[in-house]
Amino acid sequence: MNPVKAFNHLFSPLGGTEADNYRTPGQLSFLRAPFVPVFGDELKEAECNYAYIGVPFDEGNVGKPGCEDGPREFRVASLDYFPYWFEFNVDLNGSVVDCGDISMPRVNPEVARERIYNAVKFALDAGKTPIICGGDRSISIPAAKALSDHLGASKKMGYMHLGAHLDFADSWAGESNVSTCAMARITELPNLAAENVSHIGARNSFNPKDHIDLARSRQVRFHPMVEVLERGVGEVMDETIERVWGGTDGQYLSFNFNVMDSSVAPGVTATETGGLESREIMQIASRLGETGGPSIIDVTELCPMFDVSGSTSRMAVCVVLRIMAGIAKLNGDTLDESLRRPGWTHN
Amino acid sequence: MSTQSCNPWKFVPYQHQGPHQETEVDAHVRSPTKHNGPVKAGGIITFMGAPYCPPDREKIKEMGAKVCFLGAPWDLSTIVRTGTSSGPQGIRDASTQYFPYMFEYDVDLMTFFNVVDCGDIPIVPGNSAKSQQYMVDYVSECLEGGARVILVGGDHSVPIPGARALSNHLALHRPQAKMGYLHIDCHLDAAVDWGGIEITNASGPPMALKLPNCSGENMAHMGSRNGLNPKDWMDFWIDNEIPIVPMSEVVEKGVDECTRFIFDRASRDTETIYCSWDTDSIDHSCMPGTSCPESYGLKSREALQIARIAGEYDVGVFEIAELSPVFDTSQISTKLACNLIYHYLGSRARALRARGETP
Repeated sequence: MNPVKAFNHLFSPLGGTEADNYRTPGQLSFLRAPFVPVFGDELKEAECNYAYIGVPFDEGNVGKPGCEDGPREFRVASLDYFPYWFEFNVDLNGSVVDCGDISMPRVNPEVARERIYNAVKFALDAGKTPIICGGDRSISIPAAKALSDHLGASKKMGYMHLGAHLDFADSWAGESNVSTCAMARITELPNLAAENVSHIGARNSFNPKDHIDLARSRQVRFHPMVEVLERGVGEVMDETIERVWGGTDGQYLSFNFNVMDSSVAPGVTATETGGLESREIMQIASRLGETGGPSIIDVTELCPMFDVSGSTSRMAVCVVLRIMAGIAKLNGDTLDESLRRPGWTHN
Repeated sequence: MSTQSCNPWKFVPYQHQGPHQETEVDAHVRSPTKHNGPVKAGGIITFMGAPYCPPDREKIKEMGAKVCFLGAPWDLSTIVRTGTSSGPQGIRDASTQYFPYMFEYDVDLMTFFNVVDCGDIPIVPGNSAKSQQYMVDYVSECLEGGARVILVGGDHSVPIPGARALSNHLALHRPQAKMGYLHIDCHLDAAVDWGGIEITNASGPPMALKLPNCSGENMAHMGSRNGLNPKDWMDFWIDNEIPIVPMSEVVEKGVDECTRFIFDRASRDTETIYCSWDTDSIDHSCMPGTSCPESYGLKSREALQIARIAGEYDVGVFEIAELSPVFDTSQISTKLACNLIYHYLGSRARALRARGETP
C-alpha cells in the first residue's frame, strides 16, 4: 500500500523504487485501496469519501448468468488504473476503501436483500459514498431503500438510472423483487418523487407494455435512446441532472452498462444494440463529475465471462473513476502544479 | 511461373496461387478464376502475400523493394499484460483476407511499392537490451536497403530501437538533417525510467528526445486519456514544452485537424518522420485485441482517417504496436490494424502519384 499523504504513488513506477508489477499488488482490492470492514467503527473513522462494496448476487437475474463475478472483475480491472488522473490533475489515492464483498447466502434472496440493505445503510451512516458493484440489477432495490431510510422521511431523494431496460415490472412470474422490478420498487420509496427520477437509454423490445404503462402511470420521465440520439447526450444530461439533483438531499446514481452499445460492452448480462458510444458515456461521466457527489453509485450486471479482452469491466471502472476524479476537481482537491517526481528532472 | 521467377513480383503471390498456378502478372488484383483467392487458403502466409526478402540491405536493393514489412514479436519490455508478440502474425493472417489492390486509391500496393515481408526480428527472451539491438540492426538493414519500413510490434518499447535506427540512418546520410517523432497512444508513455529501467514500453518519447537529430519541436502526442498515466508522464510533456492532443480535444476539434497539427509539427524542417502508433489509441469496441483496451478512444473510421493523412507525409518508419491477437474477437482488431497499414500505403501511393513521384 502506498503511504497516504506521500506522493510517490503519483509517479513511475507507482510508488516505491522496486518497480513491482502494479497489476499484481498481492491482495486484490479496488484501486489497491486498504480493506476496511463495512460493519464497525473503522469505516466511520477512515479518512475517505468512498466505500467500495461488492455484491456478488445473481439470484434476481432474469437474463444470462454470470454477474456474481462482477465485483471481483471490477477490482481486477481497477488495477489497470492509477490514482492520478492527468485530465483533472487529481489524486484519488486514499479517497476510497474496499469493504470487500457482502457475504451472500445461496438460494435465499430474502436474506441476501436484507444483508445488502444493512451493509449499504451502515456505509451511508458512516458518512461514506458507497460504490456498489453487483450482482444483478435487483440489488438496487435494497440499496435504494437503504438510502431512502438513511435520508429519512423529511428529506428528498433523487434517482438516476442508465440502462437499456425500464425494469418497471410490477411483478415478474409472481416475484416482485427481481431485476426487472427494480424501477417499479424503487419508485415506490416514500421520499422519492417521480419528478426526481430519470431513466436514460431505454431501447429495443425487452421492455414489455406493462413496463411502459407503469412508468407512465407513475409519471416517470424516461429518455429513450432515440431521444438521446436526437438531442445529444449533453442536452439530455442537463435536463436529467436538473431533475435528479434539483432540490434533493441525496442522489442515487445507477449504471447498468447495457446502456452501452453491445460493441462497447459485450460483457454485460443483456447486451443491447443501438446504445451509447464510449465517448458519450465519458461525456456523461465528466458532466456528472461537474455536478458533484451522488450519495450512492451502483454498477450492476457486469458479466465477465462474456466479456472480450476484459474491456467492459475496464470501461465500467473508468466511468466510475472519471466521476470520482471530476468530483475531486470540483471540490478543489487538485495537485500543486509544481509537484514533480522527487530527485530528478526530465532533461 | 518458372520463366518469370527472376522478378519476384512477376509471379502470382503465394496467397493467390491456385493448384494450377495462374501466371498472369497482375492476377493478384483480380477475382480468382481457379481457386478461392486469398480469403480461405493462406498458403505460406506473408504480409499482403508479398514475397519474402531476407532483411539484408543488398537483397532489398536487389529486389528493388520500397516497403519492408518487419515483425518485432517482442513483449517482454512491457509494464502491462503480454501477448503482443503475436501481433505481426495477427496482421499477416488478417492480410490474407485482402487484395493488394485498393479501389479507393486505384493502386496495386504490391507492385507500386514492391512490398516485401522481411519476416520477424529474432528476439532474446528476458533480454530487452539485446532484443532491442537486434531491432535496431534489422530496421537499419531495411532502411539502408532503400526501403521504408512498416514495423509491427510487439509491445510499445518497439519505437525505442525503431526510432534509433531511423535516427542512425539519417545521421549517416544527411548529418545535418532532422527527424520528427509522433506518438499516437492512449497513454502518455513518458516514463524517463520505470524503476530505473529506461527501455520499457512506457518510455518511447523520452528515448526519442535523446536522439541527436530529434528535438521536441518536431515531436507530438495524440489520443491520451484515462487514468493509466502517472503524473511524471504528464510532467515530461509539460516541462519539455511538447504538445499533447488529448482525446477530449480530438473529440472536440475532429480527427482531421488534430492529425494535421501533429504531422505538420513533425514534418516542419525535417527529412523524415517516425510514426509510432499504439493500437490502444483506438476505442476498445473497435480494438479489443490490444494489451490495454481503453474506452473513450478513436473510432475505426477516425483511425483510418489518421492512416490516410499519415500517407500524405514523409514517414520513414510507420509502426503499429501493442496488437494482441490473443485478446481479439472475430479478427476485428487484426483486420483494423492491417487496414491502417493498407490505407496508409494507399494514401501514400496517391500522394506520390499526384506529385509525379515514385516510391
